[in-house]
Amino acid sequence: MTRLDLEPRQAVGIVCLIGLASAPFLLPVLTLRQLTGALFLGMFAMSWDYVSGYTGQLSFGHSMFFATGGYTAALFNLHLDVTPLLAIIIGTIAAGILGVVIGVPALRLRGPYLALITLIVPLILVQIVNIFPGTLGGEAGLRSPDNLISVGDTIAPILSTIGFETPFDQEVFVYYYLSLLLFLAIFALFYVFTRSYVGDIFTAIREDEDAVLASGINPAKFKVFAFTMSGAVGGLAGAAFVHTPVGNPNPGLLLAVVVSIEVVLIAILGGMGTITGPAAAGIGYYFVRDFLQSTVSHVSMVIFFSVALLVLFFLPKGVVPWLADRGRTLLAWRDQRGKPTT
Amino acid sequence: MSSQSTQSTDGTANTDDVLRLENVTKRFGGVVAVDDLSFSVHDREILGFIGPNGAGKSTTFNCVSGAFPPTDGKVYYRDEDITGVPQYALVEKGLARTYQTFRPLDDRTVLENVSLSMVPNKLFSIEEFRTDVEDRAKDICQQVGLTEYMHQTPDELPHAGLLRLEVGRALGTDPNLLLVDEPFAGLTPEEVERTATLFRSLRENGMTLIVIDHNMHGLLDLVDRVVVISFGEKIAEGSPEEIRNDPTVQEAYLGGEL
Repeated sequence: MTRLDLEPRQAVGIVCLIGLASAPFLLPVLTLRQLTGALFLGMFAMSWDYVSGYTGQLSFGHSMFFATGGYTAALFNLHLDVTPLLAIIIGTIAAGILGVVIGVPALRLRGPYLALITLIVPLILVQIVNIFPGTLGGEAGLRSPDNLISVGDTIAPILSTIGFETPFDQEVFVYYYLSLLLFLAIFALFYVFTRSYVGDIFTAIREDEDAVLASGINPAKFKVFAFTMSGAVGGLAGAAFVHTPVGNPNPGLLLAVVVSIEVVLIAILGGMGTITGPAAAGIGYYFVRDFLQSTVSHVSMVIFFSVALLVLFFLPKGVVPWLADRGRTLLAWRDQRGKPTT
Repeated sequence: MSSQSTQSTDGTANTDDVLRLENVTKRFGGVVAVDDLSFSVHDREILGFIGPNGAGKSTTFNCVSGAFPPTDGKVYYRDEDITGVPQYALVEKGLARTYQTFRPLDDRTVLENVSLSMVPNKLFSIEEFRTDVEDRAKDICQQVGLTEYMHQTPDELPHAGLLRLEVGRALGTDPNLLLVDEPFAGLTPEEVERTATLFRSLRENGMTLIVIDHNMHGLLDLVDRVVVISFGEKIAEGSPEEIRNDPTVQEAYLGGEL
């Protein structure tokens, strides 16, 4: 068996990647548009997992970063005519600064301070948005800023030849791939960090900060780093989101308390401290929620959250780690059965 | 008496001292846990630091190792004032400690526990240190006698194994001065002897050690010198023989449990 030495999980990853890359040719265009939105939910969930899943410092208000990134970028674009790309960069930096401002005082202390502080900050931001409806759009949100790119005359004919003829189809196609690129870049970034010694330190902080101190490592530094980087990436996702046709600066999408709660729920369902789990669960969650909201009544949301509750009861480590465990058991079983006969 | 010792140590640097405590006091609210304690540790010495339960031994260790600063007094490490310097920074300077209640990371293997103490305290490092770290961690596991448990998690270790892991993790930081908090508690005489042998070999390689114990059973053959404290105050200092025959010490232990 020396064809390609792939571990099973690598093989699964490659299959998923091929699936995502070929989605525009397999899915109806409206589903593809939904998948674009789902990718952003996955990015939000990954950003939460990077700090809370790994270091164990729980943030219950991660929407503050998505909103800071999204609103800052939108305001710069709408009022100061900054190009979308530059606006996204400014939004990312603003979210990173918020991470430092909140993280430095909150994370130097031990205990649940970060959780408490992150509960309050989005509430303040929601009120600020409501106090200045003229500038910040209030509850209805801001009007959409410019899209990141327009489907130019050069790409349009090429897209037509592969079956994306209307401008709407072409826009969905282009923004799907842009979002997928961002999704994969963020995934790769978090993956590299969490699988390096930095990830070992993060999880050690989650286990025992005294052991980390005794190892000559300053836990506060790594906690602030994780929080700031998570915030900046969350802000990046939020800022990019408002510059796509699928998103706009709206409290319900970026800032509301329920956004923060959903992100936590997704990460726990997918598997905390794995990055892959929240990334996958974010996509799945988006579709299930969308299906229930659009087709049936509030009762189905009750069922949905009850199922989520049951998952937490019975699979406390999350769905993806559970599947990985199942897979390993299955492979071990197959190997054992295979051995005596060969 | 205490003012005398401060004056004599001011200015003239006694380079033989690895660690020096000057009038260290630690209060928790109204409770004085460590009271005006001064002593020093010489290079390549194994110092026994003993006292009855609750005498303030671990509190002194915490003041020295940077877990919290003393309320009063100074701590010098190789003539550098380290009073109030945080623990991780002291570890970088070469001052490591073990805990009496073991602090293993149960989510990873013994080898990974030891490896953690060798990773850089830096956010970004592109050095290819991983394989090097693993080799060194394996060496340390061998040194402390954990080779057979290397790939198991700490919750599978016997009590003596957890102690070795504590020591192994401290060794991973490449210390110059090692504070060992109550290493012999709960060990069989055989294990005490093996652990003492390990400490001796560390000293032969140039390390200085301070070993806490609540009595002198395990320490007598091991240590060069003993400092005894009771109720936070130093009551005796000297060679193991002197300490054994010291009436104040015997009184502190009420009937010579020494």
